[in-house]
Amino acid sequence: MKRLRTVSLLAILMGALLGCQPQGPGGRLVVGSRTRIDSVDPAATYSFGALQLISAIGDPLYVIDAKGQLEPRLATALPRLSPDRLTAWVPLRQGVRFHDGTRFDAAAMVFTLERFLAIGKLSYLLGDRIVSVRASGSHELELKLRRPFTALPQMLSAVSLTPLSPTAYRSHDKRFLNDRFVGTGPYKLTFFADQQQRLEPFNDYWGERPANKGLDLVNLSNSTALYGAMRSGEVDVLLSTSLEGDQQLSLHQDAQRGRLLEGVGPALEIGYLTLLSDQPPLKNPLVRRAIAHSLDHELISQRVTHGLRPPLRDLVPPSLSGSEPTAWPAYDPAQARRLFEQAGYCRGRTLNLPFTFRSNIPADKLFALIWKEQLRRDLGDCIVLEVSGMESTTAYRQLGEGAFASILLEWMGDYPDADNYLQPLLGCNKAVGYRCLEGPSAASGSFWTRPGLNEELLLSQSLEGSERIELLRRLQRDTAAAAPYIPVWLVAPRAWAQASLSTPVFDGSGRVVLSQLQQRPAASRPAP
Amino acid sequence: MSRRRQLLGYLGSRLLLAPVMLWLIATLVFLLLRLAPGDPIDALLGTRAPEAARQALRQQLGLDQPLPAQYGHFLADLVKGNLGESLTNQTPVLEVIRQSLPASLELGLCALLIAAVLGLAVGFSGIARPEGRLDLAGRLYGIGTYALPPFWAAMVIQLIFAVWLGWLPVGGRFPATLMPPSGSGFYLLDSLRAGNPQQLAGSLRHLVLPASTLGLLLSGIFANALRLNLRRVLRSDYVEAARSRGLSETRVVLRHALPNALLPVLTITGITVASLIGGALLIEVTYSWPGIAFRLQEAIGQRDYPLVQGIVVVVAALVVLVSVTVDMLVAVLDPRIRF
Repeated sequence: MKRLRTVSLLAILMGALLGCQPQGPGGRLVVGSRTRIDSVDPAATYSFGALQLISAIGDPLYVIDAKGQLEPRLATALPRLSPDRLTAWVPLRQGVRFHDGTRFDAAAMVFTLERFLAIGKLSYLLGDRIVSVRASGSHELELKLRRPFTALPQMLSAVSLTPLSPTAYRSHDKRFLNDRFVGTGPYKLTFFADQQQRLEPFNDYWGERPANKGLDLVNLSNSTALYGAMRSGEVDVLLSTSLEGDQQLSLHQDAQRGRLLEGVGPALEIGYLTLLSDQPPLKNPLVRRAIAHSLDHELISQRVTHGLRPPLRDLVPPSLSGSEPTAWPAYDPAQARRLFEQAGYCRGRTLNLPFTFRSNIPADKLFALIWKEQLRRDLGDCIVLEVSGMESTTAYRQLGEGAFASILLEWMGDYPDADNYLQPLLGCNKAVGYRCLEGPSAASGSFWTRPGLNEELLLSQSLEGSERIELLRRLQRDTAAAAPYIPVWLVAPRAWAQASLSTPVFDGSGRVVLSQLQQRPAASRPAP
Repeated sequence: MSRRRQLLGYLGSRLLLAPVMLWLIATLVFLLLRLAPGDPIDALLGTRAPEAARQALRQQLGLDQPLPAQYGHFLADLVKGNLGESLTNQTPVLEVIRQSLPASLELGLCALLIAAVLGLAVGFSGIARPEGRLDLAGRLYGIGTYALPPFWAAMVIQLIFAVWLGWLPVGGRFPATLMPPSGSGFYLLDSLRAGNPQQLAGSLRHLVLPASTLGLLLSGIFANALRLNLRRVLRSDYVEAARSRGLSETRVVLRHALPNALLPVLTITGITVASLIGGALLIEVTYSWPGIAFRLQEAIGQRDYPLVQGIVVVVAALVVLVSVTVDMLVAVLDPRIRF
């Protein structure tokens, strides 16, 4: 009898434990992503997950909408420029309050920008372009520029520059404030831990109120756990950051069957090959061009990512002005063979090309194996890929030392503008002929430049309209002809929501607009 | 010399050696980190930051100083109990450890409890009939659980119980929809102290899968250790003597054989606890458990020197402490031990 009682008690306890899935108050949503967030200070962090969070609790001066159009947010209009375009005045919105009740004004914006310039990890992005900031009126910001800079509003749309309450950050003007955030966004951050964050709607928000009653963000450390959490219904919305290809495909297929809802954001991340262009054998442009012709973009995209990462033949994502979608050559093994032959390969002489992939990124390894086989199939007597893996932190360290003949990398600009894709790959501060000795091109591992390229890149930053677009396109065509880089694929962010919710919507910077997530009325849900 | 004085002398010598051991470990970690390829500046700024920005940050973080100077500062701070600040977000290293160590200890202790109960039960079950079916099954269990790759076992268990059956959460330490209990950082303890059943159930639900997985994987060691020791002890003279005095087999096993067979198990427990503090990495990663091993792995990836050094030193100190404690316990419990 006693034993029976103990067993029954245990069974009840187990049942309660297994059955009592804690439920949040109605209308709150759980959003899952992979990135652990170790700071919510815009000066301290630039990880995708952290910026996604800050985009919900802060407001930048400008935003880029889903159609790629620039829209004032805490600014009320585009910057007004002086005739020499070296001074910009930004009119600011009035009647905006920070989460702690402090009034948002030009002084607050000056405090934010100066703090970012002083301690921001990416302060050089701002410091390279802006000499000084001051409040030219209670709600007007004055920026002195180093040189005319066309993409200034785009830069000011960066989430890292979201205004911070001077009252709350006064004692942290020289130090990061990692676990608190006091901005002006539609949500307030009410709890922060590196694995879990709680957002509540901000009652005094100046704009449209969030469609949901609050968000609980969870960060799980591996792709399988996130995938499992979505499938089991533990999370309502899942952001695709670092989710493995097979699992993305499975969720994509579920969305096609109506079991989930899928939102796709603008593709702003590029995957590309870097070729070490100042050392043999890739010093020879014929070899680099041959390799560019040899890459079967379509096959790679299908086999590695099931088509979820579309092929790319351009360094600037097609959604941005200034892109040249067919700048790099299409797959043409016959042309590749001709070029290899001109360079003295094939017919008994094979190019053994070392190729490094980042071993901690599954898609990179798959790319390496498939490209190797594709080359063996098409040009086995001309080129053999010698594949090796390396952990990414180590690889990045050695990139600027010219350690890799060829390596697969990815890049996403800090704000969506063509300049942010060309300058970081092609810029060069010190060069001898076609060899870049110092600057972004060397740091990127290609070491390629050409006389006049850096000046043209700087010029492209100050030109406007069609003149700028034409220059950006020409720069890419020139680069494609030299092929120090070979664009491979384009990565679009994805998010999935349970069928009872609204489809996740992205802004033009590739972030889910969390304030628009909501439960759908039962009548508008798809039949199970 | 009395045994008590011998014991105290032994304890003193072990405790005196501890700082030397910690200094050696700290020096080794300091050097190895700097020898390893990779640069914290790359991890902080990315490779595309201009050289001026990189230099400025290097100077700000003191990484531009010669290695002996960096080592000197590190040791001086260490002696003062200052482990420095994380390079990535300026959080004091002690604070990071204070946040993540309780998670690891909570997981480790629960896993150890499960491992001990399960392992000892399995180890003990076959004792009635050595080489019988139950004994064979216990032996297979011991080898099997020990040989299971932890990440594979964790993923399979996660898939079955969290994804397919949906009984338990996939990962994390606490339900996203609840506020975690505040206090010591041991969620079970804190929620019990707060008297909040929702928090307690939430903590338990998240703990069940990782602790069971880890416990299951470790239980084989206990099962095998107990089985082998018990069999050895049951063949010893004093047990034979007990039997010949007409004592029942149950009494012989429970009162005479088991306490002696458990002594080596105590040593194994000590070693297991020590390895669990920093060694449950695969379980922590699979279940997104925000413990110290997981944090260490991230810090290594980011080349966050102070954080790696701090975590290693603290974990090493704990390992030394546990090892000394277990040695002392064994010495107290087993009068045969000589120093």
